[in-house]
Formats: sequence, structure tokens, C-alpha cells
Amino acid sequence: MKELLKELCLIDGVSGDENAVREAITEKIKDVCEYRVDPLGSLICFKKGRKAPEKKLMICAHMDEVGFIITSIRGDGTLTFGAVGGIDPSVVIGRQVRVGKKRISGVVGSTAVHNLSKEEREKAPKMDSLYIDIGASDKKEAESLVQLGDCAYFDSRFTELGERRVKSKAIDDRAGCAMMIRLLHEELEYDTWFVFNVQEEIGLRGSTASAFSVAPDMAIVLEATTAADIDGACGAKRVCSLGGGPVVGFMDRSTVYDKELYRLAFDTASANGIPCQTKTMIAGGNDSGAIHISGKGVRTIAVSVPCRYLHSPSCVIETEDMENSYSLVRLLAKRMHEI
Amino acid sequence: MDLKNTVISLSEISGASGDESRAALLARDLLREYCPDAEIVSGNVVGTFGEQREGLPLLVLDAHIDQVGMIVTYITDEGFVKVGNLGGLDRRLLPAQTVTIHGKKDISGVICSVPPHLSGGSGEVLQMDDISVDTGMTKEELEGIVSFGDSITFDVTCRPLAGNRITGVAMDDRCGIASILAALDMLKDCKTAYNVKVIFSAQEELGERGAKIGAYALNPDIALAVDVSFAYAIGEDERKCGYLGKGPMIGISPSLSREISDKLTDTAKNCGIPYQTEVMNGLTSTNADRYSVNRGGCKACTVSIPLRNMHSPVEVIDLEDVKLTAELLAAFIREV
Repeated sequence: MKELLKELCLIDGVSGDENAVREAITEKIKDVCEYRVDPLGSLICFKKGRKAPEKKLMICAHMDEVGFIITSIRGDGTLTFGAVGGIDPSVVIGRQVRVGKKRISGVVGSTAVHNLSKEEREKAPKMDSLYIDIGASDKKEAESLVQLGDCAYFDSRFTELGERRVKSKAIDDRAGCAMMIRLLHEELEYDTWFVFNVQEEIGLRGSTASAFSVAPDMAIVLEATTAADIDGACGAKRVCSLGGGPVVGFMDRSTVYDKELYRLAFDTASANGIPCQTKTMIAGGNDSGAIHISGKGVRTIAVSVPCRYLHSPSCVIETEDMENSYSLVRLLAKRMHEI
Repeated sequence: MDLKNTVISLSEISGASGDESRAALLARDLLREYCPDAEIVSGNVVGTFGEQREGLPLLVLDAHIDQVGMIVTYITDEGFVKVGNLGGLDRRLLPAQTVTIHGKKDISGVICSVPPHLSGGSGEVLQMDDISVDTGMTKEELEGIVSFGDSITFDVTCRPLAGNRITGVAMDDRCGIASILAALDMLKDCKTAYNVKVIFSAQEELGERGAKIGAYALNPDIALAVDVSFAYAIGEDERKCGYLGKGPMIGISPSLSREISDKLTDTAKNCGIPYQTEVMNGLTSTNADRYSVNRGGCKACTVSIPLRNMHSPVEVIDLEDVKLTAELLAAFIREV
């Protein structure tokens, strides 16, 4: 699954511009299920199982990643941009980016530290003070390389950190996509809907539409979620930990999860010797927020891979957590039909 | 000589202040093509260019080999690597940067950062003491590979930008080294007006320490510190900057030799080499500050390559400036 994750992470797909990700995924699943693309661009798949279940189950993940959109080209050839999704300017300043379909290299410039006042050095940058420098010497040169509305992406390699962890951009939520692709290649007990959503990062837009179309009774959202188990963070502030197994939360900013499914997840994990943890802070959110209040209501649970430095060019996960998340979801997908 | 690839290979090799040996070995090997006696002496790469003739003044071309970085100070029980800075770092841009720890072998790491879901955009910039590196390894796994005192550099691959521009790390001052090598390449079949020696000096970022002892050892009459200086970009004070692509910046300052500044300017004018004037009002914060007061004194000047985002992982230069700097140095040294 690590190779699959790598392949998916290295594709660029900011919210609203997920085509390349969808094409790559379609290529991998086209022979194992029925599928269609909805008007927003989400990929909706249906796979027959051995049995037709009483209740309709939808498993989903989102294809989009956080990034940038070019909003203007200045006279000096630099580009102004807006953040697509929630990004801390501290992980944007001083990075390499790729701009547009031609993947032109650029950098997010930063004033030389020598020329910052004492106060400026201690103040985190604001997003609207940042700009992209593609090396163009004037507006005309920049216009020949970039168009307004082009997306820009973190230019980040997929690398192994030690023997257990990997680092890349876009692990949120290509990890979920990779798990779904693998699930689609399994023999399933029950008929299942799988949705690769667009536009999660700008407010759960894709899942709002696709949940309506699929109209499931139950849903499992596959995600990557904030782990803050870093030096200096203690107790609840760590939220969840790398190596602690899949994260099943009881509540976040968008959802109070179905209590019975929450318990079922932990029971299933413990019955099968899979480590499992919850989040110790009410933070973040995911497509569950749109799905659980879709239509007449959908019983929803989210299973997430704990991920450090989320929404940065350097997301870090432990691959074993992804394997364990996968194992849990596979079991859960079956057991949810049996409650 | 392939200027672009020389710049790239020098940029992508590591050499934080005090731990320059890898970069120094590469620079020494590159220098040996022009200075067969090139050697590393007390951390500095030193070589003699061409025939040394009786009665000619000794001119030293200096560029610094070190780059800003970090140094391992501690490893926590959980395996987080604590660090101190080597040279001036902008702490605002450290979160989630990828780095390489130069232990017994190179190890990849990510500088820890708190995601926006939790920080709530507090706007706080971490102090150096609060910064740690995540290597994905435990304390036990790190033991035997990483030791206190190992250096850390940003892990950056050079990328071409529009036109002749390029981004990478440690362009400060590896592009200066490349321009000196290019100048020697232009001079290789020429008679020179000076006896020429070259030094790629260590620990500039910690206060020009390599140049201090290099200057003493070489005892030059004239020294040209070939370094980088600020190129105008958004956020910079335009009055204090040069521009990318407009040629080398010739320094004028009370601490520099006005005679050499004028001579460099005349050379640029006479040879039609585009140049810019960089006026400073005291010390230059380059190795020139060390040469000028070496032993009984020396005529020193700066020739600087304009550079954006100095000391960051995304320094930007224009290769045309590196070439023009080489042309100016060669023209200055060539006997007419």
C-alpha cells in the first residue's frame, strides 16, 4: 500500500482541480466495479458483494489536497495567490511550489532574515503578505508561463523517515484513497458504494452532493487526522499518536459520531487485536460533517490514519497505522451490516 | 565549464558552518583543474592559480564554502532531535521544513510544526529552544547514528525558474565559488596582472572565522570577497538592494578600498560588463571585513552576486549574474 500511497501523493490535485487524481484512481478501479463521475467531479463507485444488504453502506475518502490558486500577476512578474483549504502561512513561506498544468517551479519568497526587525522576526507571516516568485522578470514573462486561476502545489518528495514512517504532501487524504482502492480489489461480503470525493478542504462540498446522490443509510469516512504527539505537547494536546493505530473520534468540529458505531469500531478492533485510539481534543473535521446530516440522516463513523504536520508539505504517518486502519475498516464494513 | 551544473552540484552538497568538509572536498576537486596544488588547510580550501611572478602584488579571490544550518544539541527520550542554529536563520519559516541530519550517515527529518487545526493561528514564532526534528526514529535507533554536534542542513533540490534564474539552498555562497571557478576558466591561458591565490573559506556565517586565519596565512595585498548580497524582492527596501540579472554589485564602503572599488568599476565600464554599485556605510558583513585588517592591512573589496530570500531554503539567483561576476573578476585580473 506504501507504493500506491506514494503514487497518489505525488499527483497534484488541489480542491476544484482533482482531475489528475481521479484519472489515476479510475485507471486502477475501472475493472473491479461500476463507476460514474458526478457533476462536481467526485468518482462514485459501486461494487457487488456476495449479498445484497438491507442497509446501504457508503465508504468514502477525498481526492483533493490543500494548495493555492493564482489570483493575480503583478507588474514585477510575481504571483499573488489564495490558499485553498486551511494552511498555516508558516508552512508556506520559504517553500518550493509547482504552478499550473505545466508544473512550473516557483518559490514563496521571504525577506532576508538580516533585513527583518526584531519584532518582525517574532511575528508569524500573514498569508496575504506572501507571494510566489517563478523567476519571471516582468508581468509579460510571467503571463507567458502562468494563467490566472492556475493552481499551485507544494513541491515535496515522498521520502521514508526511518523504517516505519513516510513523509509527503497530500497524505490527507490520499491515504484514504489508497485504502479504498485496495478495498475495491477485495471480495466483499455486501454490496458497497465507494466515493472518491472532491472539494473536502474548502468545506465538504463534494461529499454534500455525492452523499445526496448515493443516499446511504450508513457511512465510513476514511481520513488522515491531526496527530500532535510532538516534543513539548503533553496530555490531551497530543490529540492522537503515531503508532497508536487507527483514530476513531467521538466528536470533532463537524460531527458527533454515531455512538453505537463508535463502540462497534473499538469492539471490532479489540476483538481482532488491532490497536485503535480516539482523539483527545475536539478539533478538525471531515466529510462526515456533510454526510451525517445528508437526506434523512446517515449513521456515520470516521476511521483516520494519525498524521503529523497535516496540511503542510511534510505530512508524516506511520505506515503500520495505515495497514491497521485498513484492517479495521474491512472488518467494520462487514460488521456494520450486522448490528 | 558548465556554470549551471557547477552551481547546482555545489548547492546540493552539504556544508554547514564548522562541518564544511563535504562541500570543501567537492570545491577542492573543482578548483584543482585550475589550481593543481589546491588543498584543504584548517578547513579552508586554498589554491594557487598560474605562475607566481616576482614583484607582482598578491591578489586573493575569496568565497565562503559554508552555509547556514543547524546543529544537534540533544535527543529526547521520544527521539526528537533538539537543535541550535548555525548562522542566521529565519525561524518563521522553519515549521515542516525537510532537513538532513549529517550523522554517521545522512538521515531525513522534518521540523516539527503544529497544524492550524490546533494552533488557531496564534501567530507565535518558535524560539530555537522549542524547535525539534522528527526523524521517524526512536532514541535507541538514533544512537550510534546521530551524535550531539552533528550538523543539519535544509534538504532542497535545485529547481530551474523562468529565464536564467534558479532556486536552491546555500547559493550563499556557492554561487560565489562557481563564479570564481568560471573566472579562472576564462583566465586559464592569459597572463595576469597579479599573483593569484584562491580561498574558499570556512565559517563565514559564524563571523568570518575561516577568512580570519586564511587571510593571515595567505597575506594578500588585495582581496576580493566574492559573496552574495540582497536582490530586490517584495518586502525588501529597494534602496538597499541590487536587482537580479543586472550584474555584479561592486561594493563601496568606508571599510573597503576605494581604489579597488574604483578600479573594479572602471574595469566593468571599459569591458562593457553590466554592474551595480552597492554602497554600505561601515562594515560589510562579508569576509572583506577580515581581509582589510589582516596583519598590517590589505586592500579589500566586495563583489556580490544579487540573491533573493537569503539564508532560506529558497534562495534565488540569476545565472547571468554569476557569469557576469566571473567576467568582471577575470577582466580585473587579466594583464592588459
